Amino acid sequence: MKFGVSTVLTLTLLLASLACSHRKTYPLQGEVRGKDLTTNEVTVNHGDIPGFMPAMTMPYKVKNTAMLQELQPGDKIAAEVVVSKDGNDYWLEDVRITDESKRGKVKPTESHMLMPGERVPDVPLVNQDGQTIRLKDFAGKAVLVTFIYTRCPVPTFCPRLSSQFARIHNELKTTPDDYSKTQLLTISFDPKYDTPAVLRKYGLAYLEGDASGFSQWDFASTKEADMRRLAQAFGLSFQEQDNQISHTMNIALIAPDGTLVRSWFTEWTADELLKALRQAAHRSAKG
Amino acid sequence: MRLGKRQVWLQLLSLGICPVLAMTACSRQQQAGIDPQEVSAGEYGYEVHCAECHERPHPDLLKQPPNLHGVFMRKTLPSGAPSTDEQVRKTIIEGRGTMPAFDKRLSNEELDELVQYLHTLK
Repeated sequence: MKFGVSTVLTLTLLLASLACSHRKTYPLQGEVRGKDLTTNEVTVNHGDIPGFMPAMTMPYKVKNTAMLQELQPGDKIAAEVVVSKDGNDYWLEDVRITDESKRGKVKPTESHMLMPGERVPDVPLVNQDGQTIRLKDFAGKAVLVTFIYTRCPVPTFCPRLSSQFARIHNELKTTPDDYSKTQLLTISFDPKYDTPAVLRKYGLAYLEGDASGFSQWDFASTKEADMRRLAQAFGLSFQEQDNQISHTMNIALIAPDGTLVRSWFTEWTADELLKALRQAAHRSAKG
Repeated sequence: MRLGKRQVWLQLLSLGICPVLAMTACSRQQQAGIDPQEVSAGEYGYEVHCAECHERPHPDLLKQPPNLHGVFMRKTLPSGAPSTDEQVRKTIIEGRGTMPAFDKRLSNEELDELVQYLHTLK
């Protein structure tokens, strides 16, 4: 996607103004690709939303729960994207189904965003030690996955994700039973730069120099095609431009049987993630 | 070249998925002296690349980035390494600990201007 300087400036000013002034709305047209009733979110493949977002597939909250119930994968919708006054939140309002002829005809494929209960794709990853690992290697464990790139300079994005994963890791270590039944997995979407050596150095910083922690917290990357597959599956959007990558913040919890438990996007805390991870691990112990 | 990097940063903000980035744009624009036409290239680079972490507390981070005011007035950097231009450039390019690497993001000229500005931070 190419942006001219004037477009860039216009979009920047629009984004800045929406954060600085008042609630803004933007018209959206797209197709429902999935929904998660635990988070009141619907995943929409939408076209360009001038002034707000380029075309992409991403989750949006729907506050009208009756409408959320009604929406089904395959539905074509029109809606208003509402961005809060402080710019910290956004959601869909005035959702209308414009075409439901494809409802139920959209078969789950590997290119859709996973719904809870669906099996995650088993792509090969290369970890900080240069070893090939697969998600199925963690069968029997509850796995918390997130996506970063090590050069991310925005403290509220990747540095926050890794810092909070470090907190979770330190908490899990205090309970050996939980520690052995859980796994953290940080996947870089910048494999060209984030080689195993770079990921090892990055991981050691968050493990505070203790390499033994890599047994329960892998830092990995994968080839581009597999990364795109994972991004689709977990609803991650990322785009590189001159060594900067704009991206969404995505966290997913995978059950010990390799199926998705749930995902988090903008609103989460380490305590909430830790609680969910422990619960998923305990469910495994009960069979 | 420097203008190009500024455009990249603006693009990052424009393409940012989460409105939090818009907040970043807002807060930076509201800071006095952020207008690139009115400040030195080094100060602008500091505000764009460094200030967000080094000037403001981020309780969610594992380690708080150190304040860089007076960094060249002491013999050693917060890391304990000697406070030389060469060492500071190395830290910016390679990162250190949880600080991200700025490798391939800054030109030599931009690094020079940034280091020069850090010398003036009291």
